[in-house]
Amino acid sequence: MQCKDTSAQLADYLAGSLSDSERTALEGHAQSCPACREELNRASQMWRLLGDIPAERPDSRAMRARFDAMLAGRAVARVERSPSMGSFVAWMRRHAAVQPLLQGCAAMLVLLVGIQVGRGIRPPTSPEVHELSQEVRDLRQMVSLSLMQQESASERLKGVSWSSQLDRPGDEVVSALIDTLMHDSNVNVRLASIDALKRFADRDSVRSAAIQALGTQRSPLVQMALIDFVVETREHAALSTLRQLAKDSTVNEAVRARAAWGIDHLETA
Amino acid sequence: MSVNDEALMAAVREGDLTQLGPLFDRYHVPLFDFLSRMTGNRHVAEDLVQEVFLRVLKYRATYRDGARFGTWLFSIARNARADYFSRRETTMPLSEEALEAPDAAPGPERQIEMESESGRLRAALMCLREDRRELLILARYQCLKHETIAELLGIDIGTVKVRVHRALKELREIFLQMAERPSCNVKTPQRNWLII
Repeated sequence: MQCKDTSAQLADYLAGSLSDSERTALEGHAQSCPACREELNRASQMWRLLGDIPAERPDSRAMRARFDAMLAGRAVARVERSPSMGSFVAWMRRHAAVQPLLQGCAAMLVLLVGIQVGRGIRPPTSPEVHELSQEVRDLRQMVSLSLMQQESASERLKGVSWSSQLDRPGDEVVSALIDTLMHDSNVNVRLASIDALKRFADRDSVRSAAIQALGTQRSPLVQMALIDFVVETREHAALSTLRQLAKDSTVNEAVRARAAWGIDHLETA
Repeated sequence: MSVNDEALMAAVREGDLTQLGPLFDRYHVPLFDFLSRMTGNRHVAEDLVQEVFLRVLKYRATYRDGARFGTWLFSIARNARADYFSRRETTMPLSEEALEAPDAAPGPERQIEMESESGRLRAALMCLREDRRELLILARYQCLKHETIAELLGIDIGTVKVRVHRALKELREIFLQMAERPSCNVKTPQRNWLII
């Protein structure tokens, strides 16, 4: 055993992949060679300290929910790609699903064509114009949904903003906004989703999601926005959650004060 | 008895997308661990795990019989992470830094963390050259065999062993320097621990 062998075998030694005889030989050499002993000790110490750095635990439930949404989206896209859907809309959707920019441009193009057609045709409420308008609406909705699934927080934020511009958004948009509120990793995106959900406050699913989020969200900014949401919508079912927040000593002081304010408002409303 | 990873991935490749679910359940935690240790940001790591599985779907036709699924998956993860940071460096405006910031205020927490040995080592690891850090994370936390790491990184096994040794030496130097001056004075594209 020579000093150069220590260097060559060190990684295997640390990983525990040396045979018994190789390990004994290496340790025996280190006993008689101060330089190799120091090398071995230093590397072993760093290896051990690295093992002491705790692992972060992911939010597996939220991640699985996002994964399922992504998988469902791909399944829908595959159905739309089937030859039986060989229409212009199917072509647009196929490309729009992978290219939000193209999607946006396509939507604008269809919109412009729609306006021109609308100007040129009398009466303006012809079936063709109506159909084109419907397609524009569908495309805008898809742009919004697609953006909300993006990796970048700024793209998801755009998706939430787009949803606010939709005339009559479908249930998918509302569900996506609720999912964003519950699971998005970025606080700014979650805050934007609360604003976007306000226009759907008449829906039971939205109000109950807001109450659920109030009980689970830990960001003070999001908690404050949710308190305002349930007060504005006079959601009396949120009272028990608000009371829990108000007396929870682990909750931010400003949030607790806001929760108390919310309780006062709801009880007197 | 559970179906092995390779059989599940072969089914996904043939169009049975539901078989990706068990693979997600098996691998999202080790992937998250790798990506969170590489980026130092759990939010980015969670987003990147989604991106990795999106790419698995997108490129499923390229999965070849006989290839180890884990190795293939981690090669996708490495690319996804590299793409994320190259995009950030070339296109992301300054305001994005604030947008990507985590919920809690990091300052005092990071200071407290730096006072512990583990916290200081975590910071030192983030200051280590990116390829060295990746190698140590794969070897120490993912417990990958040297031949698997060699296959993943496209280098020979002897080089892997030499680089593990070298990376530990460099890490120790940074770690010791940080005991006196808690800042990252090694030039590296990753400086996340200072800003998040």
